[in-house]
Amino acid sequence: METIQEPFDLIRLSLSERVFVKLRGDRELTGILHAYDGHMNLIMSDVVETIMLVEGVDAVPPGPGATVKVATRKMDMLFVRGDGVILVSPPSRT
Amino acid sequence: MLIFSVFKTLTDQQVTVELKNDLSITGVLKSVDQFLNIRLDSIKVLDEARHPHMMAVKNCFIRGSVVRYVQLPSEHVDTQLLEDATRRGSSPRSHPFIG
Amino acid sequence: MDSLIPFTTSGSLVDCVDRKMLVVLRDGRKLHGVLRSYDQFANLVLEDTVERIYHGNAFAENWHGLFLIRGENVVLLGEIDLDLEDEIPQRRQVEYAALEPYHKNDVEVKKQREEAKAQILYEQKGFCKEGGEGDGY
Repeated sequence: METIQEPFDLIRLSLSERVFVKLRGDRELTGILHAYDGHMNLIMSDVVETIMLVEGVDAVPPGPGATVKVATRKMDMLFVRGDGVILVSPPSRT
Repeated sequence: MLIFSVFKTLTDQQVTVELKNDLSITGVLKSVDQFLNIRLDSIKVLDEARHPHMMAVKNCFIRGSVVRYVQLPSEHVDTQLLEDATRRGSSPRSHPFIG
Repeated sequence: MDSLIPFTTSGSLVDCVDRKMLVVLRDGRKLHGVLRSYDQFANLVLEDTVERIYHGNAFAENWHGLFLIRGENVVLLGEIDLDLEDEIPQRRQVEYAALEPYHKNDVEVKKQREEAKAQILYEQKGFCKEGGEGDGY
């Protein structure tokens, strides 16, 4: 039986499963995790990136019309540099 | 070291490097080092009009620390091998795919 | 053990020495100069350095001289194709003093936009604001 003794064990148990990753710079990813290292560099496939866009900030100073929009983008195979990772969340197991 | 090895197997393949300043550069991966600094040849910048300073640049060195993503050619990545190597927790040094 | 692994990338900067290079810094500055030396941290020595600014189709240069650039500030080092540079259509060089106000304004507008965006995302979505220094380039 595999147990979790240190933080990275959680990621190890998520290998080849779909994980959720939150990144600096208002970005989120979901994808299938294939590799990681001690820097939390990741290699994922079948990735969907969600980016937060703010519309209506072109006015300087921005008016109250600014709204948050969400854009998504798909990528086949992606290396993610570890220094941008805020959190990695494994798939829910019920 | 594992990820360094993966990049080494991808030399001479086309990759897209996305930097933390939102600049995206597609090019042929010429070399990589253990800091994941990257050399790209025959580069093409996405949305070149917004980055006029890149127009006369044909090949470049990118410091690893400024990289956000690298989009890899999935047909040249053996995911099963990656998972096994990651589980072993060591570089797949002895493995033939190191080349 | 790590020291036995050759610095393949830094090593391959050999062919860039004594060539005219573009250096992009983390604060967004663009420097042009002749690369004279480098090391494994991407510390660079740049000779006859000029800073370039762009606005629309115009660019301008401000002469600085000899620089040693600390590697952590370097985003990208690009080899300038001198033939290609002369062929870029509709690009003209103007006086630095004339272009500087436009460039400063561009930078300021971009900064304000990003601050406003970060504030809204912080309030509405719980995304943290980036620190004062760091990824502002």
